[in-house]
Amino acid sequence: MEGSSRSQYSEKEKLTVFNNEFLPHINSMYNFGYRLTLDEDDAKDLVQDTYMKAYRFIESFQKGTNAKAWLFRILKNSFINDYRKKSKEPNKVDYQEVESYYNSDDVDRQITTDLRVEALQNMIGDEISNALNALDVDFRTVIILADLEGFKYDEMAKILDIPIGTVRSRLHRARNLLKDKLSEYAKKMGYKNA
Amino acid sequence: MSHLDNPFSKPSGEKVTCLEMLQVILDGEATEEQHLYFKKHMDACMPCYKSFELDMQIRQLIKSKCCGGQVPEDLVDRIKSQVNSIS
Ligand SMILES: [Zn+2]
Repeated sequence: MEGSSRSQYSEKEKLTVFNNEFLPHINSMYNFGYRLTLDEDDAKDLVQDTYMKAYRFIESFQKGTNAKAWLFRILKNSFINDYRKKSKEPNKVDYQEVESYYNSDDVDRQITTDLRVEALQNMIGDEISNALNALDVDFRTVIILADLEGFKYDEMAKILDIPIGTVRSRLHRARNLLKDKLSEYAKKMGYKNA
Repeated sequence: MSHLDNPFSKPSGEKVTCLEMLQVILDGEATEEQHLYFKKHMDACMPCYKSFELDMQIRQLIKSKCCGGQVPEDLVDRIKSQVNSIS
């Protein structure tokens, strides 16, 4: 990226793009950072680092394309390459391994959850947030991207560097795992058949 | 719309399951035609109806409870001043 003479943007344009197209996504970015790291300070560092990289690599951002997806991709890569390496999480499995593990799983599980809407309606505290945070980070990520941020398969595939088919199966599995967690909470709350 | 031309049908002609239709809908990948078809389908299929309701409820909860609250005030300032210092 550096040393390129055919600059797409002037210095002034860079700042304009940064302020008008990148910064407005700060809320979503911070939330994504927080959901990945589960720590406010780490989330701040990750987001700041992401914005710095975005600025430095602004030449590779195509005007008129989806800035949010581009930023999310940088953040996710920073998380994997920098944050995960630094943190001493003991049981981090290789991406590849994780993939084959859940692609082989019961993707065709039928609609069998016994979780009930009535039980959910009583979850007015941190249950949903805790349930989401309890999922493995790869599953947590697809739920955030799809259900909170509304990204499509093709956008998620680009953000996560995985095939669309994997996005689909991972999302499916993530939803089932989330329901299992919520079901556990519901049982604790006294819903016998939840 | 006849049941024969299910807009969820796969090119292979293989029968599409309720679960598969539900996922296309939930994942926001459904066409308008598929939405209409599924809406009608839910009138007659209790498992789909219940599952759809449950998933929408969960999504609602996620949207109301997992949005991270406020971005720390100093974060935007930190980012802006760092960008200004390198530009
Ligand atoms: Zn059905």
